[in-house]
Amino acid sequence: MPRYGIAIDTTKCIGCHSCRVACQNQQGLEYNQSFNWIKEKERGKFPSFAKEFVPLQCNQCENAPCQRVCPTGAIYTSPEGVVLVHKERCVGCKYCIEACPYKVRTVDHHEGIVVKCWFCIDLVRAGGEPACVTTCPTQVRIFGDLDDPGSRISRFIATHRAEPLRPDLGTRPRIFYKRS
Amino acid sequence: MKKKRGISRRKFLIGSAAGGATLLAGSYLRPNSWAAKPKAPEAVKLTPTLCDGCGNWCAINVYTKGDRVWKAEGNLIAGNNVGRICAKGHALLHEAYNPDRIKSPLKRVGPNKFEPISWEQAFKEIGEKTRQISEKHGPESLFWLHYPEGNAALAQRFMTALGSPNVFSHGSTCFLPRNIGWWLTTGSSKPEHDFENTRFMLFIGRNPAAGLQLRQLKDMAAGRDRGARMVVVDPRFSEAASMGHQWIRIRPGTDLALMLAIAHVMIKEGTYQKDFVEKYTQGFEEFASQVEQYTPEWAEEKTSIPRDTIVNLAREMAAAAPRAVIHRGYHGAMGTQYKNSLQLVRAVACVNGLLGNFNQLGGLFEPPKVKLGSLDKERFPAPPKVDGPMVDGSTDPERYPLTPKGHGLTHAIPELAIEGKLKAGFVYHNNPLRTNPNPARVIEGYKKLELLVSFDYVLSETASVAHYILPESYYLERDDVVHSNHCYKSKQVAIRQAVIKPLYDTKPLFHILREMAPHLGIGKYFTCTLDEYNEALLAPLGVTLERLKKEGLIDLGGEWKPGEPKFSTPSEKLEFVSSTLRDLNLPAMPAWEEPLVVPNRTDPHSFRLIHGKQAHQTHARTVNQSYLKEITLVNDLGRVWIHPDRAKALNVRDGDCMTISSSVGKGRARARVTDGIHPECVFLPSGYGVFSRNLKTGFGYGISYNDFLPTYFEPVLGHTMSGEIIVRIEKT
Repeated sequence: MPRYGIAIDTTKCIGCHSCRVACQNQQGLEYNQSFNWIKEKERGKFPSFAKEFVPLQCNQCENAPCQRVCPTGAIYTSPEGVVLVHKERCVGCKYCIEACPYKVRTVDHHEGIVVKCWFCIDLVRAGGEPACVTTCPTQVRIFGDLDDPGSRISRFIATHRAEPLRPDLGTRPRIFYKRS
Repeated sequence: MKKKRGISRRKFLIGSAAGGATLLAGSYLRPNSWAAKPKAPEAVKLTPTLCDGCGNWCAINVYTKGDRVWKAEGNLIAGNNVGRICAKGHALLHEAYNPDRIKSPLKRVGPNKFEPISWEQAFKEIGEKTRQISEKHGPESLFWLHYPEGNAALAQRFMTALGSPNVFSHGSTCFLPRNIGWWLTTGSSKPEHDFENTRFMLFIGRNPAAGLQLRQLKDMAAGRDRGARMVVVDPRFSEAASMGHQWIRIRPGTDLALMLAIAHVMIKEGTYQKDFVEKYTQGFEEFASQVEQYTPEWAEEKTSIPRDTIVNLAREMAAAAPRAVIHRGYHGAMGTQYKNSLQLVRAVACVNGLLGNFNQLGGLFEPPKVKLGSLDKERFPAPPKVDGPMVDGSTDPERYPLTPKGHGLTHAIPELAIEGKLKAGFVYHNNPLRTNPNPARVIEGYKKLELLVSFDYVLSETASVAHYILPESYYLERDDVVHSNHCYKSKQVAIRQAVIKPLYDTKPLFHILREMAPHLGIGKYFTCTLDEYNEALLAPLGVTLERLKKEGLIDLGGEWKPGEPKFSTPSEKLEFVSSTLRDLNLPAMPAWEEPLVVPNRTDPHSFRLIHGKQAHQTHARTVNQSYLKEITLVNDLGRVWIHPDRAKALNVRDGDCMTISSSVGKGRARARVTDGIHPECVFLPSGYGVFSRNLKTGFGYGISYNDFLPTYFEPVLGHTMSGEIIVRIEKT
């Protein structure tokens, strides 16, 4: 069974938000619900001023804080290592939203449950890639199997020493960032 | 396939994503919000078509679930989007279900009061009125205005049949100098870039990361991955700059000085491509002595870029030549923004000439063109040609000899209406009331028209003052004419077709014109059906309409390969000295020209207002879309950028409200204090400032640069000079 992850090259992100809307359509989300965010970060003073767009989505942590706090056990990990929410078990208490250090979970007010990115696992199982990956104009994201050392993603992470966000938290995310 | 814990991958296979196959929706997520909640899994169908989010018309494959639109994916072989779609392309799918859509033809019966009427009545009344006006004031008093220009051939046929030369595009507010400048210099108005194979790319007054061109972006990223250096010259830290290696901050309106200085350095240091210049260019000696005066020190004074940066830029580029390229430009500094824009385009074309990159690997090239067929004139007679210049003076040797017919000067329409030279107009999907300079004047002008017919799907500002509104079927609901603008490195032909049935009483443009024509007395020129028309266009290509509809886009081969450069100028060479301009007694060589206006450097309140697109909006065209507006709101993207030092002097902090005023308008916006902008200007993102109350999502948010822009006509081409705005800023 593959262990899926995404590598993100922020040096190529232009903040066009195509990933956000592609995802909303794929998942049937309303305009004000999203599984994707882009944070714009400015640093330095002119002439060494620089800006970075950092795409954010569920990190599919191996040691997921959301999973640990869920009182109903609604959060589970799929065989491919994707963190999922069981719709019938979720009671919408939002503990997981509080626990998530990346703040990437959102409430579905229609169903009264908490939802988030799930790597478009239905598309992936059918042989495709997540919607945010395929639509990106500059191909910021690389999707693939972290356990296969020959996969594009593994080679990318190794070459560029891509790191997850806040590795110090011990959440062991499956999204890796190349940031400079 | 590996098996673990007794679960096979097969067990998890939900369905196949292949076109036309059945796919079940994800089980735990709520199904599509605007789709009816499916009880049983609905059949998923894929229809290839063309997007309508901007003028690129990207090839997309749209998925429907049952009878409702679900999502879209890019066509992988399409030359101009290669499998990608931007946020607008995804979001506009939802607009089919916008409750504010126009549901039948409307007649305006009072201010902002509309009455539904039948198509028959609309055609009859429009026909009668148009004929009266044409008889009384002549057919030159009629005009057509459109954006995008995908159906331009139909519009031309319609207006020619009516006897009018007046077909306008949005060109004079967008790209006019870019097209003319390149055409004068190289004979090709829109060369393409081989970014994938280049070693150095320079963007000057152009931000393809927000004025999106998906193919270019993909290639820029690929070229960059392969080690190409990317430098962005811009008054602000643009989205392209965030992808680039170096941002060079330039004083707005002075890009021409930088280009001239780069030419100076390359010629003085002898680093230009001498073989190329000798063989394929004309007027180099004159050009060389002309740029002698434009030293990097002089340019530092003009542009505020340090001398060494200019020299280094010229050296780096020359070292990478001929695999170095300067972007051909679009609506930015090389578009309709400055008085010196035409000269800038000429200078950029000339420096690309010094780099010797034409038809070279990693340089510029002329994209292969598809020659479409035409209707059989025996069966379907063509209307007699209409000679003479347009009413605005385009192609008139005495006025705007270089401004082409079919584009004209859109912002001259209100002036001409006030003068009484234009009496009736057909506006197709364009919204001049919001997208033309000085709205008060534009409204006054359009209201003077005796007949204004708008083709739109919502009540935009322009549609709201029209006498009749003919709702064209949404792009997902209609079949359109064959399209050949997807060629990038190979010849391609594509078609837009209906993905869903029209939801309301709407029609495609082709049908509207065909049914309206008899009422205007030009029925004999509109007898063919859309299929007959499309078959005629496809005839020389050996492609059947059936196959094109099945595949959506067909690659016809004929791939571009590097080789001998060819220029279709009068001299058949790249013209440093333009023979066309010389014949017209206009400055034939790129020379420094000051911008029309400059801010007062001693006044802390005086700024130049610059503006540009955001990647998730196409000017006023998309700002009424809720998915896109949410992006603006969540990220607070409607703010005006201002430099920290200037903001401090005005006591403005990040997020504070500022009052912005110019000679023609006033407005308020919140500040985004950032180091990523030149201190002498403020940046306003384009598109906001919807003032039609009928556009409920977009109404009342933000301001538009057009509110501050006086009506200008640049002396040579007549464009808007939309960057020549000086504003006064105060803390509110």
